Amino acid sequence: MALDLLNIYMPVVLLLAIGVLAVPITLLIGRLIRPANPSQLKETAYECGEMPVGGAWSSFNIRFYVVGLIFIIFDVESALMFPVVAVFNKFNSLGMGGLILVEILIFLLVLIAGLAYCWRRGDLDWVKSYSAANRSDSGVENE
Amino acid sequence: MFAQILFILSALLAVAGALMVVFSRDIMHACIYLLASLVGVAGLYLTLGADFLAATQLVVYVGGVIILMLFAIMLTGGGREPSEKMKLLMQVPLMGSPRTYVLSFLALLVLSLTVGKLFVRVMEGFTSVDKLPYMGTVDSIGTLLVTKHVLAFEISSVLLLGALVGAAVIARPNKKRGAK
Amino acid sequence: MNSTVVHYLSQFQFFHQLLAMMGKEYLPLLSLIIFLLVVLIMLGALSLVGGLGTYAERKISADMQARYGPNRVGPFGLLQFLADGIKMFLKEDTVPRSADRLIFTIAPIFCLAGVFGTIAVLPFSSGFMLTDLNVGIFYLLGVSSLVGIGVFLGGYASNSKWSMLGGMRGASQIISYEIPVTITILAVVMLAGGLSLQTLVNSQGAAIWHWNFLHNPFMFVGFFIFFIGALAETNRAPFDLPEAESELVSGYHTEYSGMRFAFFALAEYIEIFVVCAVATALFLGGYHVPFGFGGEAPLGQVLQVVTFASKTFALYYVVIWVRWTLPRLRVDQLMTLCWKYLTPIALFNLIGTIIWLYLTNGRSIVALIFG
Repeated sequence: MALDLLNIYMPVVLLLAIGVLAVPITLLIGRLIRPANPSQLKETAYECGEMPVGGAWSSFNIRFYVVGLIFIIFDVESALMFPVVAVFNKFNSLGMGGLILVEILIFLLVLIAGLAYCWRRGDLDWVKSYSAANRSDSGVENE
Repeated sequence: MFAQILFILSALLAVAGALMVVFSRDIMHACIYLLASLVGVAGLYLTLGADFLAATQLVVYVGGVIILMLFAIMLTGGGREPSEKMKLLMQVPLMGSPRTYVLSFLALLVLSLTVGKLFVRVMEGFTSVDKLPYMGTVDSIGTLLVTKHVLAFEISSVLLLGALVGAAVIARPNKKRGAK
Repeated sequence: MNSTVVHYLSQFQFFHQLLAMMGKEYLPLLSLIIFLLVVLIMLGALSLVGGLGTYAERKISADMQARYGPNRVGPFGLLQFLADGIKMFLKEDTVPRSADRLIFTIAPIFCLAGVFGTIAVLPFSSGFMLTDLNVGIFYLLGVSSLVGIGVFLGGYASNSKWSMLGGMRGASQIISYEIPVTITILAVVMLAGGLSLQTLVNSQGAAIWHWNFLHNPFMFVGFFIFFIGALAETNRAPFDLPEAESELVSGYHTEYSGMRFAFFALAEYIEIFVVCAVATALFLGGYHVPFGFGGEAPLGQVLQVVTFASKTFALYYVVIWVRWTLPRLRVDQLMTLCWKYLTPIALFNLIGTIIWLYLTNGRSIVALIFG
């Protein structure tokens, strides 16, 4: 018996739908039995018991953005690599493994060169040190 | 039957998400709607039998690009602009001269004709996809990437290298300003 | 080539009787009903696992610190999680006035949907897996990245400084550690020659020397990289900086209370189970039962599920054990570990694996030594 093309995606859709609907439905049902006594103080953001000073939406360090950028590059790389490595065994058993090996190695080495460049220039350091002297006190997170 | 449901669901998600991106006043909300739209597009790929493309859409766009956008928004401080209470109808006349309207109308006409034609094509061919036996696309993509399109595969790594170095250079702190 | 739980059930007589009763054209409807039932069973079981996970966490940590832990509700305090659940259900629902209400509600949805979506491809046994997608492990990576977005949005929407810091840290940590994990998975995929979870499991055997992590030295290292990365991706100690209670109060879910918090916690504990299950499937032989027990028959399936679950729970125990043993990392140490240690080692592993496969024609180290 063979299911049609798309029917094997039924569980995916079902699970995602349940995941999306579970939260609102539970909150709606809970509304019937839970207390609701809002007050000004209860609805302020928590700042260790003090009144909050300003909002939290301030500009963040560019490091997070750089991490995101490098991540995307490796993400795309993995998306390209996945089908290639999946067929490696097939080609290897046909005696063409050497060709694929060289192709994958070139692909990877170019990327490793990029990573090595970033490493060398200090772009992978979370805390950027401007001189070797500041390097010692680099433990502070500074957003 | 399920194919139609999946198609309608993802098409609705894609189109509604895209519309909400345009009409949302809050940049963070717009980002979330964009995510919904991208997930919808992944669903559309799925209905066409392109399972690897759909998964790539999930991994690269939903997992990568959206996070990057969220970070980029936080780079500028995030949060809501004190939005001017201008309704859409008031905004439209402010957007340009008559020439813009004529041009955009013509562009819309061409675009809708093209899309309409494509749409008819898709709807005609749609039911036949439903009955195909399930077969993955991973193997054929991999085989093509290492045989016929090997140059594209290798060059894409150079492109990625360029992007990596570029990202690092852009984000490098300005040394002239000295220590923090 | 691909199998779902419906394919498995279609071997049996009752399936065809049922189908004949409904009429042949109702096959999609019947499979939908079966899928829905199995999905609900799995979600129920995994919610139980998540609930018992909180109990196990408290009990094991208590054991390690020479305390009792929860011992009042039910025998040995086993029903503590139910009591906690009821309590959270009855809690008032507070949303900070300065928060972004829409995103505040959506954030737990992302976490929950991301974790639930991964369940679809978990190979509990050769028949009892919801669906064996051809892009299985790649799909799993994509769907689980929704969790990172949920963590970030939870932090952002609260508009509280603690939450915001936790959310930013969480998102950057999750995406960073996804890279070594993905590269390690690439090596496993290369070994197995396919992306579907069944292919990955079936490339291994029941005996311990047929498991992937003893296939070659690179795989052995790869297993630990995967495990460390998975720990970081689930925000578990020693990588729990997004919710570091000593510095960020409670991190990205500081402002969340009641059921909203419960969903974050549920998603976290189910996600631990999921990553342990993936580690089992990729490296520890998956559902293969030793000595040839376990086959297509129902009893064999049960044995396979038991094998799979026991390996997974052993890893689950290790995760909890690690949390209560190791101190928390600092942010810069976290990023250094990922970018300067795990990622280069994972890349080296990938190259090593491909060269190993090329030179030995895909044989394992044990096969090379003994025959």
